[in-house]
Amino acid sequence: MTKLQAKNIIKHFDHNGNSVVALDGVNLKVEEGDFICIVGPSGCGKSTFLNIIAGLEKPDSGEILLNDKPISDPGPDRTMVFQEGALFPWLKVIDNVEFGLKMAGIPKDERREISQRYLDMMQLTKFADSYTYQLSTGMKQRVAIARALAMDPEILLMDEPFAALDSQTRDLLLVELQLIWERTKKTIIFVTHNISESVILGNKVEIFKNRPSKIKKEILIDYRRPRLAEDVNLQKYYHEILQELKSEVMARSRDDLK
Amino acid sequence: MKTKIFYKQILFYAGIIVAWQVIFVTHVIPSQDLPSPLQVGQLLFKETANGSLLYAIGTSMWRLVVGLIIAIVGGLILGIFMAKIDVVNQTIGSLMLGLQSIPSVAWVPLALLWFGPTDAGTIFVVVAGALFAISINTHSGIKNIPPTYIAAGRNMGASGLQLITNVMIPAALPYLISGFKQGWAYAWRGVIAAEIIFSIAGLGFLLNFGKHTNDISQVTGILIIIMIIGILVDGFVFKKLEAKILVRWGLLK
Repeated sequence: MTKLQAKNIIKHFDHNGNSVVALDGVNLKVEEGDFICIVGPSGCGKSTFLNIIAGLEKPDSGEILLNDKPISDPGPDRTMVFQEGALFPWLKVIDNVEFGLKMAGIPKDERREISQRYLDMMQLTKFADSYTYQLSTGMKQRVAIARALAMDPEILLMDEPFAALDSQTRDLLLVELQLIWERTKKTIIFVTHNISESVILGNKVEIFKNRPSKIKKEILIDYRRPRLAEDVNLQKYYHEILQELKSEVMARSRDDLK
Repeated sequence: MKTKIFYKQILFYAGIIVAWQVIFVTHVIPSQDLPSPLQVGQLLFKETANGSLLYAIGTSMWRLVVGLIIAIVGGLILGIFMAKIDVVNQTIGSLMLGLQSIPSVAWVPLALLWFGPTDAGTIFVVVAGALFAISINTHSGIKNIPPTYIAAGRNMGASGLQLITNVMIPAALPYLISGFKQGWAYAWRGVIAAEIIFSIAGLGFLLNFGKHTNDISQVTGILIIIMIIGILVDGFVFKKLEAKILVRWGLLK
């Protein structure tokens, strides 16, 4: 069943008075339970595309259909895990996780029950009463994932959520995210500029080309889980994507090759 | 470290009192111009015992708190409108900057004409002193909210008033607090000035009463009380609040 559909999304930006085409007709079909990774060079518009799905930005033309219904505004049916710094420092961890539920007017007892469940899932139970400044970057992203899942969204949007993590923490979370995906059967769209992340996580990898962006190619990855970063069998997917991206990536940043 | 600073301060103030006593005993300044620390202490003790000092402090603080609450509510609303609607900032915002430059004591004559020497008059001076600084700081606070907070709030279904109260105001709190602190400082000066000129109950009144009765101990004693209240509110209430918020908001290690 098709969960989400992006139809010919076009988006321009104003840059020093010039109109720059960021997204030049992006089409995407997301099936229920898909783990989609969108990979592309920095600045190619992939985060903009995710924001449009979230309803945080409006496309100039084209539409997003969720369960065949067009969406325009932000909604808790499409929760987002941001790159970093999106947790509310004035709230305790548990209140951060409950924020969306509170906005939806869910009574306190019920909120507590739901938040406890997701804090457990992300192994955060003993940090429930901490404030975010007391947490490491990795712990913060765990909270952000718990907060997004607590809304029980139709689709989970992740915008380079592991970009600021050290590699050990990232490897751990890459495994955990796969387990969570299998357990919750959530549909996930995960944006990254890191090719190995996309290979480890995605069952479909969408390769964005440089601006003006559209999807250059879709790569299917049918491989057992949980996939580990060091698994050599994933290399061939990595190289396939790398070949596709090379011209785009080289132009942008050598760091992304690491 | 902290206790070390505390001891230094104790020593310093003790030194001042000793020097003060020496000046008094040696008559460097004639005694009708400078009371002894003991005379001031005795007077403050007497006024504490008969309740007049506490009554005056209570009266001044009551006017201050009522005025500040009005100024905070009004300042928040004005500041949010200034931040959200450009034309409001370009017009009312520029007026706020002008009004903020008026010293609080300059509002006293107007307050007297409008309200007479009443509580309402002093409260007006407090509001006029604090409102503009608070609204200006609220405006910068809202403008400087990291966009990710707003995006996250909207993403989780907050909109309109919900977004303002649950995301924008708490996110702007570090700025709001410095606005409140500034507002309090202006308001405190304003309320004392109004009480001196109106000559109606309160610390300012006691100060003025000392002048009329030529009682130098009274004038000196009340000045010390006004200073101590200032230190307590600034150093304890606001400093602690600010430190806590800066740490929690991750703006300070």
